Amino acid sequence: MNAMIYKKKWPLILFLTPTFLFLTVYLYYPFLMNVWNSFNRIGGMGEASRGLNNPPYENYVKMFKDPLMSTAIKNTLILMALTVVIQVGLALILALLVDQIKFGSQFFRTVYFFPIVISATALGLLFNLIFLYDGGMLNQLLTNIGLITENIDWKDPSHFFGTLMMPVIWQYVGFYFVIIVTGLNNISTDIYEAAEIDGASGLGRIRYITLPLLHNTLCTCLILAITGALKVFDLPWTMFPGGMPLDGSWLTGTYMYYQTMEMADVDYGSAIAVMIVVLGVVISQLANYIFKEKDY
Amino acid sequence: MNKIKRKKLSLGQFFIYLVLSLWALTTIYPFVWVVLNSFKPKGLIRKEAFSLPIGDKFTLENYVTAFRRVDIGAAYVNSLVISGVVTAVVIVLAGLAAYAMVRYQFRGRTFLYSMIIASSMFPIFSTIIPVFRMENAWGIVNTGNIWLTRLSVILPQIAGNLSFAIIVLMGFIRSLPIDLEEAAYLEGYSVFRIFFKIIMPLARPSFATVGIFTFLWSYNDLFTQMFFLRSKKFFTITRLLNEISSQAGTNYGLMVAAVVMVVIPVLVVYVFLQKNIIKGLTAGAVKG
Amino acid sequence: MKKFLSLTLALACCASVFAGCGGASSSAPAASSAASSGSAPAEIRVVTSYGGDDGNRVNFENAVKAYEEATGNTVVDESATSNEQWKAQVKADFQTGSEPDVLFFFTGVDANEFIKNNKVVSIEEIRKEYPEYASNMKDGMLPASPADLKQYAVPVNGYWEGMFVNKTVLKDCGLEPPTAETTWEEFMAMCKTIKEKGYTPIACSLAEVPHYWFEFCILNQGDPSQHVEVPASATDAAGQRWAAGLNQIKEMYEAGCFPTNTLTATDADTFQLMADNKAAFAIDGSWKVGWFAGSDDAAGAVENLDDYTVTYVPGMGERKSTDIVAGLSMGYYITRSAWEDPARRDAAVAFVEAMTTDEVVNTFAGGTPTALKSGMTKPENPNSMQLAAIDMVNGATGSAPAVQDSLNATARKQLFASIKDIVTGSVKAEDAIQTALDTPLADEDK
Repeated sequence: MNAMIYKKKWPLILFLTPTFLFLTVYLYYPFLMNVWNSFNRIGGMGEASRGLNNPPYENYVKMFKDPLMSTAIKNTLILMALTVVIQVGLALILALLVDQIKFGSQFFRTVYFFPIVISATALGLLFNLIFLYDGGMLNQLLTNIGLITENIDWKDPSHFFGTLMMPVIWQYVGFYFVIIVTGLNNISTDIYEAAEIDGASGLGRIRYITLPLLHNTLCTCLILAITGALKVFDLPWTMFPGGMPLDGSWLTGTYMYYQTMEMADVDYGSAIAVMIVVLGVVISQLANYIFKEKDY
Repeated sequence: MNKIKRKKLSLGQFFIYLVLSLWALTTIYPFVWVVLNSFKPKGLIRKEAFSLPIGDKFTLENYVTAFRRVDIGAAYVNSLVISGVVTAVVIVLAGLAAYAMVRYQFRGRTFLYSMIIASSMFPIFSTIIPVFRMENAWGIVNTGNIWLTRLSVILPQIAGNLSFAIIVLMGFIRSLPIDLEEAAYLEGYSVFRIFFKIIMPLARPSFATVGIFTFLWSYNDLFTQMFFLRSKKFFTITRLLNEISSQAGTNYGLMVAAVVMVVIPVLVVYVFLQKNIIKGLTAGAVKG
Repeated sequence: MKKFLSLTLALACCASVFAGCGGASSSAPAASSAASSGSAPAEIRVVTSYGGDDGNRVNFENAVKAYEEATGNTVVDESATSNEQWKAQVKADFQTGSEPDVLFFFTGVDANEFIKNNKVVSIEEIRKEYPEYASNMKDGMLPASPADLKQYAVPVNGYWEGMFVNKTVLKDCGLEPPTAETTWEEFMAMCKTIKEKGYTPIACSLAEVPHYWFEFCILNQGDPSQHVEVPASATDAAGQRWAAGLNQIKEMYEAGCFPTNTLTATDADTFQLMADNKAAFAIDGSWKVGWFAGSDDAAGAVENLDDYTVTYVPGMGERKSTDIVAGLSMGYYITRSAWEDPARRDAAVAFVEAMTTDEVVNTFAGGTPTALKSGMTKPENPNSMQLAAIDMVNGATGSAPAVQDSLNATARKQLFASIKDIVTGSVKAEDAIQTALDTPLADEDK
């Protein structure tokens, strides 16, 4: 049957052309320029090339030798894993719980959205004040309840990792929450009613009906989490500018920005952008292969 | 429904509310903090970050400063026009593309899918200059014409949000049961009618969700707006408030006041669109 | 037209050194040449950094309004706040041929590309047609482009860098603020005392903004005339001075002069120590006065401005404490595209002239250095810190512009980023300098 409806292929052109026209003109053409830029020498955004690098692939060699780039990739991969497990996991739990209640569900849906709408600059300021070394909220609190006698520098090399990851992960739980809630609402109520009659309820219903039906939504979240971790930029940059402390906190997104905008090394920044895209495509294809999406 | 079962249920419910409320505290607090601090005199935010704005510490100065020199109304209009158009176009185009990508089997489908994933990761910092050059060659930037100027922002923003929208919609459309489409096909519906009459209404929550995020990202996309909106009469609210609160990043009072003014319309849009995401009452009534 | 003529006359009057219109006759040629070619009112596009909440935004708007009323020309104001993105936009405009008619921009290496591409007009060329252009400025102080050593930009307000002092902390330590006579050794001894009292001697984030100590520690190794030299390698004379300067920062770091978290804190965090009476000193620029005084564009975080002051950074060796870092880093350019269009040429020249009269410059400068022949004037109702700043600048025995502005952005950032590695001992100062100078993009800007 499926084959019959969608056998004639000509409507595909109408379906896909506008989108791919946009993608080609506004993303692929500029990105091809970016790939070309990565072989050139460019000393500032908006400046013309000063000629080819010597050798042209210089930046790619440099990238593999650059210890900061390895830090960035390592941190990003960890963030990616944490995002998938903690961020999507928490979002899933919260979404399932909100689905269980009648009273106040609209309220929770609204307030979980707050962190996404507040700008990263404001959140960065708030978190900076919470984790501030001297007189920050956390240090004051711990001192008052007698847990510490001397202030802890939450941004020093032994503490920064949690200080960096916690806000980044917290901020986007609401995003996956909204997506999963939407996925839940797409599940027809008839199915639940049928399950009810069959005697499945509570955890059993979640395990055998909800989760399998959420499979595709969760796959979407997985892809978004992978690409998102590679891109994440604003909150980490506000809290840890310049790879603080001692170049420990670089992520691929912040390092690309730093090289392009701050160091004015546009060609190296372009090479990092290529690397981000390659990593993203490879990892998400891998994820797709493992958790194959299903048709119904 | 006997007594024991009811008791157990309410204990479970209590636990659920506890967990949900704990998380809600972490998300509400920053919002409340931002609002409270927008009523504090500048300089006090860093010094007394967590005190309440009462008595001496209360001021409307930040809002007065924000309103003083700028035309906030016009900026809201600019924002709504730009982000509204971006959202509408993205929903339709991404919907069509996602539908086709899910339902049609064709050669090159995997390749196109990789293309979409890849394009969602192109950093804006590396694409903006070629886009600027291109639009300049078309004569739609720095023209002084308000519609052309808006168009110069709208077009790159549509492209920038398409990939995300397609990825999400593909996941949702894939989960729709195909039976309805088959029935409609037997009734003699064309594929386009199936898309507009069956898929779109069925997946309304999904489209609403994608719409919310597209609106949000277009609205908050300062980087693109900075590049194309140069003179004040074209400014969006985000661009405008950034302009008055960004100087050396030091006036935190003005900054949080700006955040409040920027956030309100987004929350309104979210609450409005959220009605579409919420399951019908019958679903909530899956008897307890 | 009459209005335009009278404005040009008025401008020429201001331009002559002695006010009172004694020089009206000398301005006639300029006025007539402008009048003959100008016809209908023109519209000019202007890009400046006086956007947003800049301290001079209101002054700028007033000056623009006055210009529009006097000439009948229209100004399309596309000013923004200066940052890396803004610089990129300006450069992209030149690249694509959509540059403005008048641009207020940096005079250092940032302008090199459009100067090399002949996209802006030099003051020399403008003076061939408009002899009175920028004649109220000292020619020797008009900034020369590092690209070809020609002068293009007409400056307005300049900057100085100096040491802000928290008098409350010093009093508690039984110390007096440093003066013109304080030597480096005395200063270090003060820091030691302050440290022992439990305060932070110097508020500075070496991780984010080591720029100011970089300038003064290098200035300490020579004198103002040598300060502008950028080393060609880490081993030449300038290179050795830089290495010694960086090692001086390292010594200060090891002596505990900086906050405990100087390598992990942002500049906003560390500067707050000044307001909280936890740190005694901080070097910053003239733009930071507003932070203390609490003007609209700043946090205004201190309770009583009179508890603070600004003074010379103590010096050592050949460098006197009264040798300061100061200069003019931005100015008005007229673009080639405006210059070649007769309608916009007059309007653009008249605009720059209107924005750089003695009167306008004095309202903008507010106690910072200017290139005016009439010299620096005090702002209206100056506060105690502005007065201290004026005394500091007027009492200077020598002055040098910040040498970092002569470094290409890539090399500069590279070097500043390595300061944290130098002070922790993981990289040697000489190696860091060499690495920065060796960045592929660094050499071509000289």
